Amino acid sequence: MAVEVNHTKVPVDMFGLGWRPQLALGILSNLERIDVVEVIADEFFNARRSERRALRTLAAQVPVTLHGVSLGLASSVKVDKSRLERTARLCEEVRPLSWSEHLAFVRGGGVEIGHLAAPPRCDETIEGTLNNLSLARTIVGVLPQLENVATLIDPPLSRYDEASWISEIISGSKSDLLLDLHNLHANAVNFGFDPVEFISQIPSGRVRAIHLAGGRLVGRGNVHRILDDHLHDVPDPVYALLEEVGARTDPGLTVILERDGHFPSIESLLGQLDLAREALGRGRARRAITSRREVAA
Amino acid sequence: MNPFDLRGPEFLVFYIGLSVLVIIGIFLLRWLFESANIPRLELSDPLLIAYLRGGHTEAMRVSAVSLIDRGLLICSGTRLQTAAHARPESVRRPIEKAMLEKFHYEGDVTSMFEDAKLQSTCYEYEETLKRVRLLPDDTITQVRQFIFAGAILILGGVGLIKLAIAFSRGRTNVGFLIILSIVAIVIAAKLSFPRLTRSGKEMLASVKNLYSGLKDRASFLQPGGATVEPMMLAAVFGVSALAGDGFAFTKKLFPRAKASSSSSCASSCGSSCGSSCGGGCGGGCGGCGS
Repeated sequence: MAVEVNHTKVPVDMFGLGWRPQLALGILSNLERIDVVEVIADEFFNARRSERRALRTLAAQVPVTLHGVSLGLASSVKVDKSRLERTARLCEEVRPLSWSEHLAFVRGGGVEIGHLAAPPRCDETIEGTLNNLSLARTIVGVLPQLENVATLIDPPLSRYDEASWISEIISGSKSDLLLDLHNLHANAVNFGFDPVEFISQIPSGRVRAIHLAGGRLVGRGNVHRILDDHLHDVPDPVYALLEEVGARTDPGLTVILERDGHFPSIESLLGQLDLAREALGRGRARRAITSRREVAA
Repeated sequence: MNPFDLRGPEFLVFYIGLSVLVIIGIFLLRWLFESANIPRLELSDPLLIAYLRGGHTEAMRVSAVSLIDRGLLICSGTRLQTAAHARPESVRRPIEKAMLEKFHYEGDVTSMFEDAKLQSTCYEYEETLKRVRLLPDDTITQVRQFIFAGAILILGGVGLIKLAIAFSRGRTNVGFLIILSIVAIVIAAKLSFPRLTRSGKEMLASVKNLYSGLKDRASFLQPGGATVEPMMLAAVFGVSALAGDGFAFTKKLFPRAKASSSSSCASSCGSSCGSSCGGGCGGGCGGCGS
């Protein structure tokens, strides 16, 4: 089953929120400040006709992107074909701007682990991911954007660092990258690497979307980790990373602020989107200056 | 077999079957002609949504509740009066201005439903909804009339022919047939001219679905006009959906207002976490790394 996702060229950066029913009124009341809404695709896999119609109604009001959480693409285990078919049907109905999935595994040996787990960064998972992406393209008709995940433990049996592993997958497929900057920030803090260096290592031209979120510190004693819980405001280092991304990428990014609970006022969320606009704008300005210097030189 | 040769009871059974077919035909034809692309609509306008759900009476109910909640109308049982400090020019919506003017002198809440000036303030909602074919526009109305005319032609025509045959054969026990014909035509009329178009009905269901989160939080919504959430809740699901002591006045004010039946899906599309987050919605995903 092949479907055609609405691939309208997006020449400008778009900013939006993850759709949550608790935010419905806030989102629908502020569409002049929200360019795009991201919907969790899996919530509609088994939805009734009326619920899918509601999603299409939402898509008629504001551009929608679909975000998957249960395919488990980054695995040597073959992706569940029926889930891909449901994704395809949903894409066909909603005509999203794009769809995305995580570079994670969510099941193994017939067991659903209920978690977006970072797989071992090795050749086997690169090959498995590429095979799964090939199947996804065949069934859905278009490749997903791939999102980096946060992890509290460094995946055992890894032979690549995260940036190299992602770069191998991105360069081995035609998928674009959905760069979750809070996941990047969390992993950088948790495992002590430089997130800006990470951004410089990945193929920046393939970054098409950004996730922003907040988290919290967990742990005991001297061992602390950042947990990407989506329950807190976007921290400053994430905006700084967005500026770095802006300085390295062309316009046309879709920036989504994710919030899953402890909902603040919509004004607070819109304020965070404004901060994101400013941060990306600063990055764009830096890029423009660099370009002019290069031309002058 | 000529159905007009059937004896009385058999013909009545035939006529009931025919009526059912005609009614199914009305449904199918309306379903075909009243489908439309999902329009872009101001889904954050509570009064537009209230009007879609129940016309000017619902828009007025929601407006009244909103004005009372904001302290601009004083409610005493079913009596309303504009608060001493409230000025019609201080509110934005025409329907609210008209309501504050109307209740400058105390009056019963039901009087607003018949008020021509208040009704006229709803004209723009009607026009907006007609324009996007959620309410029947002239074209849809004409199609409906055409469908209904066809239904009358079939139901009335068959009934009249049978009556003529019966009379020509000297039979006068045609009371059941006349009653059945009238009932069938009345039902056909009802089904031919519903207030909403098919698209309108689907849009309303979608709006209820999208705002399902609001209904889930009904008991937590605070009165006092701090947010537009109570107003939107009332607009989408009816004023009786408002819960809590802060909105107790609505029960006395509109004792017969019914909650709109919900086709929402609070559980299925209300989850804020994806399925892979393994339980833990409401309090967040708890670190699913997404």
